[in-house]
Amino acid sequence: MIEVQNLTKTYGSGELEVKVLRSIDLKIDSGEFVAVTGPSGAGKSTLLYQLSLLDEPSSGEVFLDSIKTSELSQVQKTAMRLNMLGYVFQDYALLPELTALENVALLMLMQGHSREAAYKQAEGALARVGLSDRMHNLPSQLSGGQQQRVSIARAIAHHPTILFADEPTANLDSTNGHVVMQAFLDLHKNGQTIVMITHEDDYAKYAQRVINLKDGQIIEDSKVA
Amino acid sequence: MKSLPKLLKEYVFGFRVGWFLAVRQIRRSSKWTTALIIFIMVLTFLNLVVVSGLLLGLISGSFEQFRESHSGEVIVTSAPGRDYIENSPGLVSFLESHSQVKAFSPRYQTSGTILGTLTSLPRSNERPNQMGAAIKGLDPEKEALVTNFASSVTQGGMLDGDESGYMLIGANLLKKYSSFADANIPGLDLLADVDVGSRVRVTVTSKGGGTLIVKEFIVKGIVKSKVDEISTRVFVTGADLKSLLSINKEHFQEIAIRTEPSYAEALVADINGFMGSSAARTQTSLDAIPQFLRDIESTMGVLGNALSSIALVVASITIFIVIYINAVTKRKLIGIMKGVGISPAAVQFSYLIQAIFYGLSGSLVGLLLTFGVLEPYFKNNPIDFPFSDGILVVTPAGAAIRVAILIFVTIIAGYLPAKLIVRKNTLDSILGR
Repeated sequence: MIEVQNLTKTYGSGELEVKVLRSIDLKIDSGEFVAVTGPSGAGKSTLLYQLSLLDEPSSGEVFLDSIKTSELSQVQKTAMRLNMLGYVFQDYALLPELTALENVALLMLMQGHSREAAYKQAEGALARVGLSDRMHNLPSQLSGGQQQRVSIARAIAHHPTILFADEPTANLDSTNGHVVMQAFLDLHKNGQTIVMITHEDDYAKYAQRVINLKDGQIIEDSKVA
Repeated sequence: MKSLPKLLKEYVFGFRVGWFLAVRQIRRSSKWTTALIIFIMVLTFLNLVVVSGLLLGLISGSFEQFRESHSGEVIVTSAPGRDYIENSPGLVSFLESHSQVKAFSPRYQTSGTILGTLTSLPRSNERPNQMGAAIKGLDPEKEALVTNFASSVTQGGMLDGDESGYMLIGANLLKKYSSFADANIPGLDLLADVDVGSRVRVTVTSKGGGTLIVKEFIVKGIVKSKVDEISTRVFVTGADLKSLLSINKEHFQEIAIRTEPSYAEALVADINGFMGSSAARTQTSLDAIPQFLRDIESTMGVLGNALSSIALVVASITIFIVIYINAVTKRKLIGIMKGVGISPAAVQFSYLIQAIFYGLSGSLVGLLLTFGVLEPYFKNNPIDFPFSDGILVVTPAGAAIRVAILIFVTIIAGYLPAKLIVRKNTLDSILGR
């Protein structure tokens, strides 16, 4: 599903060069729920950006579904993000002028679905995260936990092959954090491949596999019991 | 290389999502912000239309007054070097039978001197209180059917066709009322102490030549207008002037004709066809206006266009800034949209549609204000300029062209900032770098 070979990411050059990722090799199978952990500055988010095609590695290769992503154009990458990948951002990243339903339906509209089909699919996704009764609310009318669940619904509504989540619980209290993690767990049980960044062990435990990064290198890659 | 149908499909989906986003962003954004942007667009539109419209209106106002108070749509005058319109009775009959002629007012005209002080003789070193002027004889009833000349009577009353021995005198001939009274122009001696009720003495030369004819008139009213043909003339009834000049035939010097403005050119051709072009000078109202005034109109047009161009530049910068700020404040969201797979084209479309919405709304409100408020207002309350009553000149076609220009500028000014923001690196936008 995801294969990373000798992935390196460097910022700056010369004396100011900072190696954020150092020769990462990694393989994630279909249906896995992987948590990437590590202290601040370990390179967790940078790794996620490379895997999710939001950034380009300095060297090395990322294969998604056996596709060599370095050979894709920006337009092809955008299309791949639209059709294959799903994203959950730390700060929800919902469009404030769109209702929960509209936020979720947006990607399906972009895919070319009819308004009715997109809304129906969005309603289904919102129902899966327990927000059927809030679908016509604007983000400003929802709590942080509810907004993050809308964000999850948006990420899964178009049935992505891989779901990426960048510290999805960072802005939530403990109760809402566990609600969101439960949502991820439910998705995983239905076969969804998930790659999640977190720096909190409590939430990492929801995953079936934890990859621990430090100074841009994988120092531990273990299955959760 | 993408196939055309695939590219087209992407743009169609992009436009659909752009529309979806734009409609909701407009509908759910701050009402005050939307109102402010539309207000700016209204001002921009008015700047485009009203400034040039008023500049043109300064001159067009005088054209309109010339037509309304003096010439009618068509005016026939004596041919150059001739004393009167040849075959005047024939022309009158022709006009009476012409289906497109609504009314006409034949006028006599001669020149003479007006003596303002009859009771005492000037001292040896003083010039007499008199001045030369063109004297027109008209039929008040016929004149009322062609022009609004009667409304130029600002003091006293209008002439009556049944009475004799009365005159109207142009305000610019009188020291008391003339705009030039305090100008001390060499050679310009205005009549002093003449007002409504004054008795004046008119001296003209008989048509045969040589003989001086003198008659006294009572000033019945003062006529004041921005049209020189009124404010620097003396008016008596046609019957009075005809008897003064001992004319037996209807030898008119001027005939003002009322017809449909759209038929004016054709009527000139009809009259020329009937009379022959050498028998009289037949002109539309516009052609009868002095060339220098038309030159001023052209200059005002150029000036108006120059000011409009500046207004357009200001408008485009305004729209650019509005859209740019709007896009910059949403840079992170734009990055996220791109990140999750929304095409850059869709985001650009959304900003473009918003820009067009603001441009159209501003133009629509501007049109309503222009045609519903400003144009009628300036028509009823013209700007008082020394040589004309300034109105607002704006035509539906002219306004439509300006709307099109404004929308075009809006599209360019809306597209560029959206493009600038959208082309930024997606991750940099998401991370706010």
